[in-house]
Amino acid sequence: MKKQYTKIQQFLYTMIPFAILGAAFKVMTLVEGITEVRPANAIPVPAGLLFGPIGGLGCAVGNLIADLFGTFSGASVLGLIGNFFAAYLPYRLWYLSGGDAPNVHTYQNIARYLLVSYNGALTVAWFLGFGLELFFGMWMKTIYLSVFFNNFGFSVVLGLPFLIVLTSEGVNLMPCQGRVGLAGKHKKAGTALIAAYTVIMTALCVLAGFGLHLENNILAKGLSIIGAVILAAMIL
Amino acid sequence: MTKKETNIILFSVTLCWAASYLFIKDLPSDLSSFAYITVTAGIAALVLLVLFFRRLAFVTKTTLLHGLVLSLFLMGDLLAERAAMDSLSASESSFISSLNILFVPLLLLFWHIRPTKNHICGFGVILFGIFMTHGFRFAESVNRGTVFMLFSCLFMALYTIFSVRFVKQSDAMALTILQMCFCTLIGFVFWFMEDQRTFAGVAYTKQMLSSVFILAFFAQAYAYTMLMFAEKYSDAISVTIIASTEPVVTFVLALLIPNAYGETEHFHIRTLLGAVCIAVGVMIAGWEKRQ
Repeated sequence: MKKQYTKIQQFLYTMIPFAILGAAFKVMTLVEGITEVRPANAIPVPAGLLFGPIGGLGCAVGNLIADLFGTFSGASVLGLIGNFFAAYLPYRLWYLSGGDAPNVHTYQNIARYLLVSYNGALTVAWFLGFGLELFFGMWMKTIYLSVFFNNFGFSVVLGLPFLIVLTSEGVNLMPCQGRVGLAGKHKKAGTALIAAYTVIMTALCVLAGFGLHLENNILAKGLSIIGAVILAAMIL
Repeated sequence: MTKKETNIILFSVTLCWAASYLFIKDLPSDLSSFAYITVTAGIAALVLLVLFFRRLAFVTKTTLLHGLVLSLFLMGDLLAERAAMDSLSASESSFISSLNILFVPLLLLFWHIRPTKNHICGFGVILFGIFMTHGFRFAESVNRGTVFMLFSCLFMALYTIFSVRFVKQSDAMALTILQMCFCTLIGFVFWFMEDQRTFAGVAYTKQMLSSVFILAFFAQAYAYTMLMFAEKYSDAISVTIIASTEPVVTFVLALLIPNAYGETEHFHIRTLLGAVCIAVGVMIAGWEKRQ
């Protein structure tokens, strides 16, 4: 029989480990006062896939609590929203890409997990990297890249095994109800949106890697606007 | 759990243990081996007890005995490893510990389990890769630390063989919790005999606490829980084959992740060649199973 947690349990089981891990690794700084090596980023993707928006909320609050141990500032609001999307976007993309209940029993689902993790990581990096520039006038390509590698790396090397165990017959956790939204009602439209979003976000990450950002590059601005529109279309 | 899922989990465990060498080096030298085991296994036990206390309902006399035996092997491994770290670098420790690939098949002969031709061929290529990673300078670096690390290998091999057997008869989670609890208790008794101030005698710093938490969470709680789950669906040889990729992972991590003092290790081209050999060896050793 599948195990199902209440929404409070889902929130706490996501928020507590995220906050503890986030706080414990504050000492391994990558960008002083902003970010560090973050194994806590292994949590959002499995939490999002299994608990949906509640998992996202747990990550967001967990990140805020962790920030209180050294990197708390106005930018923590961006961290709050970014970490919500780190969990929520993979959840939405999983079902939008045609996935059934989240598991990685097949190579197709492993590839789907990598795709949603990749897009989740790109989105958080874009949101934090350009968000800091837009709202706080602070641009550092290191932030963009370290957020991307932290999110993608840990969600693959630690998050994937977590999901395997949580969906194995030994634990057999019941995932929350999937939601596809408007785009998901037309499979081809959903696939096209994901493909376009992946290309645009990858391009933005490459541009950021070359030091091109909102202020000095019109392409970065244009792609960001298109990316935001596609993101909204996928989520609605 | 499918075979590919088991392999993914085992690889993540290897990754955690490989990374642990970087953090063990960050611990203060005056933190004794017993203190190290008590603190890291204690935190891991506490975390696991809080999260999975309901699994204690599955504890039987057999599980208790299995937990005790495994914790004794684990204690032996951790103590030997910690003693070795004083005179070996992170890469050297990882290199010697990967010689487990020899110990497990040799010990399995006592149970009349013989490696296949593919295994032997794969092990040979992996060993070549391991030596290449290290630069064929093994004989030059034999010291007290090397001997301790070989003992650590022996204990780990015994741990692998017995844990694969035990986890098929006991609840994986209960077994992990019991191992951590027994390790904490045994470690604390020795620590108390060594220094009666125990926790009061430790100089706590931010760096030290960070390393301790990291080791407790990943090298203990996460790694052993995941290992138990994966071993339920695997065998000792498969576990050892995946674990043999450890020196490569350690080296890559040492290049990428700065330690608590912001330092990283240097890159050598022979390590890349060694890594390729190890990967090829793993594929050869695992080939028969795919057929």
